[in-house]
Amino acid sequence: MTLRHLLASLAFAAAVTPAMAADPIRIGVPVGLSGANSVVAPSVVQSAELAVEEINAKGGVLGRPLALDVADDASGAAGAQKAFDALIFQKKVNVLISMETSAARNAGLPIVARGKTPFIYTSFYEGKSCSPYLYVNAWVPEQQVPPIVDYFNKEKKAKSYFLIGSDYAFGRGMLSFTKAYIEKTGGKVVGEEYLPMDGSDWTSIISKLKAAGADAIITSTAGGAPNVTLTKQLRAAGVSLPYGNLAVDEGTAKSMGADATDIYISASYVTGIDSAANKTFLAAMSKKFGADLKTPNDLSVPEYEGVYAYKAAVEKAGGTDPQKVLAALADVSVDGPRGAIRMGKQRHAPLTMYLGQVQADGSVKVIQSFPNVDPGQQCPPKS
Amino acid sequence: MLTLAIDAVTTAALLFIISSGLLIVFGVMKIINFAHAAFVTVGGYAALVGSRLGLPWALVLPLAFATGAACGALTEATIVRRLYQRPLDAILATWGLGIVIGQIVTLIFGREVQFVQAPITGTVDLIGVDYSAYRIVMIAAAAIIAVIFTGLLSGTRLGLSTRAVIMNETLAQGLGVDSARVRLVTFAIGSGLASLAGALITPLSSVDPNMGLPWLISAFMLVMVSGGSLPALAVSCFVLGGVQVIVSTFVNPILGGLTIAICAAIVLRIRPEGFARA
Repeated sequence: MTLRHLLASLAFAAAVTPAMAADPIRIGVPVGLSGANSVVAPSVVQSAELAVEEINAKGGVLGRPLALDVADDASGAAGAQKAFDALIFQKKVNVLISMETSAARNAGLPIVARGKTPFIYTSFYEGKSCSPYLYVNAWVPEQQVPPIVDYFNKEKKAKSYFLIGSDYAFGRGMLSFTKAYIEKTGGKVVGEEYLPMDGSDWTSIISKLKAAGADAIITSTAGGAPNVTLTKQLRAAGVSLPYGNLAVDEGTAKSMGADATDIYISASYVTGIDSAANKTFLAAMSKKFGADLKTPNDLSVPEYEGVYAYKAAVEKAGGTDPQKVLAALADVSVDGPRGAIRMGKQRHAPLTMYLGQVQADGSVKVIQSFPNVDPGQQCPPKS
Repeated sequence: MLTLAIDAVTTAALLFIISSGLLIVFGVMKIINFAHAAFVTVGGYAALVGSRLGLPWALVLPLAFATGAACGALTEATIVRRLYQRPLDAILATWGLGIVIGQIVTLIFGREVQFVQAPITGTVDLIGVDYSAYRIVMIAAAAIIAVIFTGLLSGTRLGLSTRAVIMNETLAQGLGVDSARVRLVTFAIGSGLASLAGALITPLSSVDPNMGLPWLISAFMLVMVSGGSLPALAVSCFVLGGVQVIVSTFVNPILGGLTIAICAAIVLRIRPEGFARA
């Protein structure tokens, strides 16, 4: 292409999309490209890229295009401080939309408050994070745990439970909520055991489990290795009790092969959701990324919807003014792959939760859906 | 009670399998090979590649051993050989090497968790206790490793030279033993054993770039208390592994994870030669 052609096509592009000449609205995505989250982060970035491309193709937001600024937070607190600082004060992003570890989120929140930047958090987490700048469109324990426990209570006639987890904030937090919920619904917890995060020998816990005579197991380990070692060793020991796993995702379950069969998972997104919106989304993802596509999951789909939620809020607020956008975020509803979602409950969102069972071929079959599960009292107004 | 006993024996077997390679290197060279964990990881990935290629387990295990031995020989010739007079620097160098190997593995295979299907699945009925079949097989594996290496050390020419080097290197050299070659072969065998251990634990564990690390401290402590002797290592594995299982069962597994390190420190304080016959 000669320079003249290039200039001509640029002029043409400018002529047909005059709106795009406006300053872009910048979306900051601090995400763990390295460290613990590096397995899932690429799928999150892909989700954001698709949303931005779709919105820009339709003329952007209030005539302005969207632009993404992705920064690596190294999955931890120190990296997050640098990433948030660079995005908010150097790149001057209008909003942050991302999934992160709890450590990274907590480290970033003071910087968010200093920069007065809206932050849409798209990762499920342990709950009760209440910065006025923070909106969350993913699940909290109040939404994830009840589907599994209710199903085991009712369908498996489970009366006693054995809980196994990794010894860290998320693992303990999830299981202490699970324990309270089991006891509230009339069940009994006959054992609760933890192994350090890097532990890989579950022998004595499994022996205790077998001796305890529980009707069902619920586990909440750190993602990746501990989850795999526990599942493999449970299966090797011949444990075939109903097994609810709070920390396994569809992709990991698939690669675990036969050992993952019959595990129950609870999520706000599984690829098998039978809706037109989800099918359109999946088709658009595979068209855009082809062979490089990372399977969309419960951490990446909320990112896609988060971008749309921000678009809707800016349109409602009539601009990117942070305070007005923050007020609007509670009111706008987004129809995405997970259904209609509005972050109107104390900056959290009621979600439809899916109880899935891993099949022998590694796919996840939706057994039951629980529409509009309420996030409960996450950030009650101070009286 | 019976389950507890089997737990203890199988845990001891696993610990023995993991630490024997480290022991052999320490016994001959008086060097602690902190790249041991990385060689365990290499073995896990060798098993992964082997099983992806559809090799039977009878071939996967030698493949893992050979890969580890090759890496070990290369390491000895390029790095460790220069550091025999500086054991502290050798710790640093092998620790660094472990990080490098971990990163190379990450570059080739990615950092995600991968899986190897177990060759033996299900449980066996052992005197009334339903127990994981693969863990029972580990007892046999540990016994085979112990027998082969005792045989190698006491029944072969190489073993004789090795023992000569252990006892008095200068004298052995004077008698015409090529001690450099003995060291090279020993380091290769030790690394090969680490990889073999890595391949053997994959059915119970996940394959990821750090899979060897959780075992390193326990293996190190066990080798310290056994002072370089194979029978003493077996004893330490039984005693400390047993204590670990007891603490994990009756107190809690988080403390259980610390027992080997703590007990080893106490043993060494009271009896510096540990479980080895002084």
